Amino acid sequence: MGATFVVVLREGFEAALLLGIVYAYLAQIGHAESRRYVTLGGALAVLASVVMGIAVSVLSGPLADVGPDLIALAVIFGAVVLLTWHGWWMGRHARELRGELQRRVDAAHASQQLWMVGLIAFTGVFREGAETVLFLWGLMTQLQDVSGWTALAGGAAGLVTAAVLGWLVFQGGRRLSVQRFFGVTSLLILFLAAGLFSAGIGRLQGIGVLPGGDPLWDTSWLLDDHGGVGGFLAGLIGYRARPSALEVAGYVVYLAAASLLFFPGLYGRGTHRNGDVIEPAQTSRA
Amino acid sequence: MKRLLTSSVLLIAALAVLASAPRVQAQDKTTEVPLTAANQAFQPAEVKVKAGQPFVLVVTNNDPKKSIEVENKDLRIEKVVPAGKTVKIRVRGLKPGSYVFVDDFNQSAKFKVVAE
Repeated sequence: MGATFVVVLREGFEAALLLGIVYAYLAQIGHAESRRYVTLGGALAVLASVVMGIAVSVLSGPLADVGPDLIALAVIFGAVVLLTWHGWWMGRHARELRGELQRRVDAAHASQQLWMVGLIAFTGVFREGAETVLFLWGLMTQLQDVSGWTALAGGAAGLVTAAVLGWLVFQGGRRLSVQRFFGVTSLLILFLAAGLFSAGIGRLQGIGVLPGGDPLWDTSWLLDDHGGVGGFLAGLIGYRARPSALEVAGYVVYLAAASLLFFPGLYGRGTHRNGDVIEPAQTSRA
Repeated sequence: MKRLLTSSVLLIAALAVLASAPRVQAQDKTTEVPLTAANQAFQPAEVKVKAGQPFVLVVTNNDPKKSIEVENKDLRIEKVVPAGKTVKIRVRGLKPGSYVFVDDFNQSAKFKVVAE
């Protein structure tokens, strides 16, 4: 039971985190009624996961060998693009929100974002979705005996725990002030996307498309990335105990480039047209 | 917005080409290493490969119901092998040493790849 709990919780955690953030985001910009886009995105992802699970079970040959890799890569890099754009958008509008604490984002601006938050929800859920579907399906075929039921109960508990974590993120996020929420989530999305970008590079190295792959260093003695705190950090910010040189480079380059987009005042003169100073210190303290 | 959508579609398409092209070329040359999974274990439990040479693990899952996920975190490999299916898993050239792969859905099932 414990093992299936961990598997499902791990697969579901990132999805729950992203859903919690985008739901809270909609509440923060005063578009709580647009939650249906997120719900729709998530629901479509569950559907797509089931379809994909069935597809890989039915298909064979080159399509089954290569297909999942391509889809996984497309989802990873697609998510990086979406999150980058989202962070950039928040960075651009942070100063508008700075003026009045609870001032709502202009409706037209926000409505441009809605299909995107739906897509973010989709990639978040779909990323590990097909695997989770196949895993749970395997558990459900074993319901003849008691161990099958306890395994399934563990899986269900994992799913519920992931959902509760997502809900806590939503509740917590909703209660923060708008600026603080934008600051915290910008930072979170920055590291999440850097981790995803680096993970995508790692997968390309894993299948030999990109060269290299041997670890640059090994911090597994300090913090292993297989489970517990290390596994949690692996999902959240892309922590790797044995990263390759290219993964580290990708992570650093992404962080540097994206933080320019996310925090427009970070490296520049620090001032904007309206004279507002964006203080990165404030966001990191938040 | 449209431009970003187009460029992300292009990016994905480029990645697809990038990911599939070397695969097709390399298919003939790379060694295939067959393995079967059944009863929560892999057969054989240890395989030898040439160090520095990319290879393909050809994993057949003989369990009629349970899918497995072949995983080695350090090599950034995680691939589902559905019940009753055979899936090819490309692995890059490895430094000499041994590498343990596990079934992520059932961590007690593992096999070792020894590169020498």
